[in-house]
Amino acid sequence: MKKDIKKGKITMTITIGIACFCLVLVMFMQFKIVNETDITSIENMKEAELRTELANWKSKYEEADQAYQETQAKIQEYKETKQSNEETEKVVNSELEQINLSLGTTDVEGQGIEIIVRDSEDAEKIKAADLLLIVNSLKLSGAEAISINDNRIINTSDIVDIGNEFIKVNGERILAPYFIKAIGDPAYLESGLIGNGGYVDTMRKIGQDVTINKSNKLKVSKYNNEIKTKYIQ
Amino acid sequence: MYNKKMVSCVLGVMCFALTLGICVQMRTVQETNQTVSNNRQENNLRAEVLRYKERYENRSRDVERAEADLEKERQNSIQNNSALQEKEEQIQQGNKIIGLAEVKGPGIKITLKDNKKDIKNALNPSDLVVHDEDILSVINELRNAGAEAISINGQRIVPTTGIICGGNIIDINREKVGVPFVIEAIGLPEQLAALERPYGYLDILKGYGIEVKLERSNNITIPKYNGTLTYNYAKTIK
Repeated sequence: MKKDIKKGKITMTITIGIACFCLVLVMFMQFKIVNETDITSIENMKEAELRTELANWKSKYEEADQAYQETQAKIQEYKETKQSNEETEKVVNSELEQINLSLGTTDVEGQGIEIIVRDSEDAEKIKAADLLLIVNSLKLSGAEAISINDNRIINTSDIVDIGNEFIKVNGERILAPYFIKAIGDPAYLESGLIGNGGYVDTMRKIGQDVTINKSNKLKVSKYNNEIKTKYIQ
Repeated sequence: MYNKKMVSCVLGVMCFALTLGICVQMRTVQETNQTVSNNRQENNLRAEVLRYKERYENRSRDVERAEADLEKERQNSIQNNSALQEKEEQIQQGNKIIGLAEVKGPGIKITLKDNKKDIKNALNPSDLVVHDEDILSVINELRNAGAEAISINGQRIVPTTGIICGGNIIDINREKVGVPFVIEAIGLPEQLAALERPYGYLDILKGYGIEVKLERSNNITIPKYNGTLTYNYAKTIK
């Protein structure tokens, strides 16, 4: 009698053990599936996301297409100018000019906006992070050239706080008020900043003093140092 | 007898908890992973996205081929002209700096992962995930430490790169990237590794429980930007 009870107990324990094991196993499998679900893949997107994604790829395609046409045109130019040194020089120069525009080593002008940020008495002092976020927003809205107090923002530019006193851009010390110039579509650049959730919108809500002026002809000055590289090959 | 009751109770509670867990999980999976959507419009959109993606990828390959041709053609044209050869070198070097050419060199690799441990007892769960501002600040510090080329999950940072947060994914160069974020930078490794200093941004992120890993390497490769830099408004003043 006693033996029987014992046997029943053991069977029951084993059964429960197996059941628990299975349950835990299933749980882990589920965890894995959730972990592996790629939220960046289009299979998991909803309609609105898909629409932005589509617009995104469309404009990327158009950009690539434009680049392709331009490169083809350049090849054609080289082919045609093969005989003449002077002509070739012109083509090389125009290519170099394009690179220098991207590097920020030439003065440029065009349509754009100027943002003036002043330290306000009833709000926190302007920090490097504020300028960094404004610059990021401008880039997202398609700014082609940006400067802060005439310091050109290039691909390696940093904006940092030096203590609580002042801000350094490209290693140059700058003081308020900050004049940020950006060349691009003025309406687009502005709406990125003052639209709902835009960074200037946020700044104004907490009492900071920001003015934006649109301009049809804005000059952004060149990077005023030599760009040196030591490590990239 | 008393013991038996206890055991049964404990087991019962355990089973209940496990079943509950599974049910919650099932629901989550169902909500996030609707692979096959019955919505026709969504499927059409999806097909359209894929079509444009393919067209873009084909065009990108064309561009790459055309650029190689251009390179050849340019070399051909300037063979006998040392002044032009110098300019050609400037073009090559410039392309490396702005991100239109692949670069190699010494540097560091930073990996950032969201904090998964403390999510239940956090006052603000938003503190536990990596945001666009965090990435922006890390990049800014890297530049401050002398980084010459930077990429995030294989996306090269070019002069026009903006970073935006869209839910729990981040948009860089209009491509979506998700966690873990792998930031690679070329520069003097010792100097770049200074990002780990106390009160530096990485230290602050660690304070929020974000997993941060920094490795030095003598051999970092950063790909070229897979888009194009186009200028429609800015004109050079001569």
